[in-house]
Amino acid sequence: MSYIEVEDLCKSFTVRRKREKGHFFREKTTVQALDSVAFSVGQGELVGYIGPNGAGKSTTVKILSGILTPSSGSVHVGGRVPWQDRKEHAQHIGVVFGQRTQLWWDVPILDSYLLLRDIYRLDEKAWKTRLDELTEKLQLGELLRTPLRQLSLGQRMRAELCGSLLHRPELLFLDEPTIGLDAVSKLSLRDFLREENRDHRTTILLTTHDMEDVAALCSRVMVLGHGKLLFDGQLTSLLAKYDRERVIEVSYEKETVLSGLPDGCAVTQTGSRYRVVYDPENVSTAWLLEYLQGAGSIRELTAQGQNIDQLIAQMYREMDL
Amino acid sequence: MNTIKLYLHSMAILMKSQMQYPVSFLLQTIAQLIMEGGEFLAVLLIVDRFDVLGRWMPGDLYFFFGMMSVSFYLTECFGRGVTGNFPTLVRTGQLDTMLLRPRGVLTQVLCSAIDPRRITCIAVGVLALILGSRMSVIQWTGWKVLAFAEALIMSMLLILGLFLIEAVFCIYSVKSVELVNALTYGGRSACQYPVDIYPRPLRAMFTIMAPFAMTLHVPAAWILGKPLYGWPAWTVFVCPLSGLVVFGAVYVLFCHALRHYRSTGS
Amino acid sequence: MRTKAYASIFRMNWKLELQYRGAVLGGIICQIVFGLILVSLYRALYAGRPQVMPIETVSTYVWLQQAFFRMILSSDSDLVGKIRTGDIAYDLVRPLSLYGYYYVRIIAQKSMGSLLRAVPMLVFALCLPRGWGIMAPVSPAAFVCFLLGLMIGLCCVSALENITMGITMRTLDPKGIQAMLNLLMMILSGNVLPLTLYPDAWQKVITALPYAQLLDAPIRLYTGTRPVTEAPGVLLLQAAWTVVLTGAGIALWKSNQRRLVIQGG
Repeated sequence: MSYIEVEDLCKSFTVRRKREKGHFFREKTTVQALDSVAFSVGQGELVGYIGPNGAGKSTTVKILSGILTPSSGSVHVGGRVPWQDRKEHAQHIGVVFGQRTQLWWDVPILDSYLLLRDIYRLDEKAWKTRLDELTEKLQLGELLRTPLRQLSLGQRMRAELCGSLLHRPELLFLDEPTIGLDAVSKLSLRDFLREENRDHRTTILLTTHDMEDVAALCSRVMVLGHGKLLFDGQLTSLLAKYDRERVIEVSYEKETVLSGLPDGCAVTQTGSRYRVVYDPENVSTAWLLEYLQGAGSIRELTAQGQNIDQLIAQMYREMDL
Repeated sequence: MNTIKLYLHSMAILMKSQMQYPVSFLLQTIAQLIMEGGEFLAVLLIVDRFDVLGRWMPGDLYFFFGMMSVSFYLTECFGRGVTGNFPTLVRTGQLDTMLLRPRGVLTQVLCSAIDPRRITCIAVGVLALILGSRMSVIQWTGWKVLAFAEALIMSMLLILGLFLIEAVFCIYSVKSVELVNALTYGGRSACQYPVDIYPRPLRAMFTIMAPFAMTLHVPAAWILGKPLYGWPAWTVFVCPLSGLVVFGAVYVLFCHALRHYRSTGS
Repeated sequence: MRTKAYASIFRMNWKLELQYRGAVLGGIICQIVFGLILVSLYRALYAGRPQVMPIETVSTYVWLQQAFFRMILSSDSDLVGKIRTGDIAYDLVRPLSLYGYYYVRIIAQKSMGSLLRAVPMLVFALCLPRGWGIMAPVSPAAFVCFLLGLMIGLCCVSALENITMGITMRTLDPKGIQAMLNLLMMILSGNVLPLTLYPDAWQKVITALPYAQLLDAPIRLYTGTRPVTEAPGVLLLQAAWTVVLTGAGIALWKSNQRRLVIQGG
């Protein structure tokens, strides 16, 4: 059995809407947040969990972490049922929310870590070793005596990570960890996560809208939409499916006539600059480049694929999300 | 015990946090002194104008007042997580964070807040107790001290339990949460005076629903040498246990409420 | 005077307060319990030592105090938060005096909040037997004076609260000063113990203070403790305090505004 086993997971909520005029009772509607979601994750995997807002991602995370009880289905994490053995389960998981903090606000972060040591009943020595390790990797040395409210966003995120990893959890849930961070912070955060995953075999479940994060960290990705698991596999094969548009921009020394382009190539012209949009499945890029070179004297040429966000948006459109 | 160590550690950290704003803290503490001083002043003025209340002498009244003040404000000071912080915990999502930790929820709630401003209120209460004890010439024996301690502890549990009802209401998103104030703050206002002066419906309310009569008045009356309704001495040690009963009952409700919270999300 | 603008602010805050009417029921029951407790206490005291002032007057005093308790409580203010985040800029840009804007807001909140609770409570109190509940006003003239006094008292306490807010604007600490003044209010307005039960010598001083102008003054007119002939004097004192406090408040806020503008966002 894998580390995380999810079978036939369903969760529905009853939502009471505002009372309509003429009705005595408020209308109750049932929202199906999760519909027979099933997957398994091995120990040490780094998985991305994506989907549009309202897809049910945070509901899944809440159930996996033990906060929420499902309507039906079974979940096993490390042999435990999260919501039944809540305290035992909590000992082995760590959670980082991008927009919420679990540390104490007005006191030096070291004090927060001391409290966490007591909360998680950690051995003094083990805690100290771990703290030193994390402090070094996350460069928190000078910040330990600083209250959380005085830290910048990037520093705060590092402090959060340290706090959630002190007790050496087997499983780490990350929810939008890089939101609001500058480019440098994002990169170093990703490096850190890769290292943790590699050194300690920490299983990481990353929920995010930042596709760069997913591309950088996760080989495996799961896509959730309308409560259903729509894709579970390698990120590269997901992208390949929707990678159907390339753009080549070419500007010539002087205006040239581009004839003989096959169907399926859309050309827009401004002066001597041409923009060719095509589907690499139908039209070979190599052939197209050769053709364009032959058509005239090229001053400048750029070729670009869709970036990952565009691909995902395309995927959402096609999956009707 | 491990939990006590966590609680004490949490309280220390919270105190540190509060002391970051010393001026504000001082002003608020003085404000509390004014308030509780004002409440005590009211008792003094009542005594000045009316002399006695039923069969109770001024010293007795100060003693009752003192017992209620000390138990109520000790609870508000050290149990603030329950007595005032809970709605914030739910609103900010901190309750979810607590569910992610390998500790009981109530433990974490109690560790989440402290209200050291109440120290002045407790001081006023202690003053009232000393004054009352002197004026009523209480003969303190070992048994009386025991009864006093038990009364205080059980009252604190009772008050904690009553405030916990508010937390339960909060989880179920009951609109009229203020209703509980009738038991908590109403209980305090009413039962800082001996319960036998009140008409039957109120007496019933504060004997059965919010049994301050059991946890405070029966022991206090006996200590003052005027047992309530002339009840025998053993009632003095048994009746306060109703505080434990109320707390236990509400705790069960709280656990149910948490189960509900965990099935409906936030 | 932009009366239309102020009127619409008033209406808007009224509506806002009305939204909370669902939660009001619990509050009403709670206040009623408080009222019953206090009246029982005073009745027990009176049984031992009857007083010159009849118990009906005291119970009426208690019920009126409890019914209009909402007026004494300090209103919810996001003012400090606004200053911290800089949102106060929106308020400063409005073509209204900042002081006036908040003044009208407070009045609207207090009056609507009180009305929602006072009416059901007083209906209940009227149904109670004599000596337990509220008695009818001594005379129609007294009742009119009471209503007038209540309205002026409302303006008075709102002016007082605006001063507290003004101080809070300076210190940026909502809890310190406000808490202290709140609690002073509770004691000196007659809420904790009716002012009529204070020693006579004390009453002379306390009733001259602004805190007593809110509820104590109008209630005395209602119960006849202060005969209608003295009404002009009472109302005048209320009005005088209102004017003084409003003036002081405006001066304070103008000074604060200058500081705000200098400090920038």
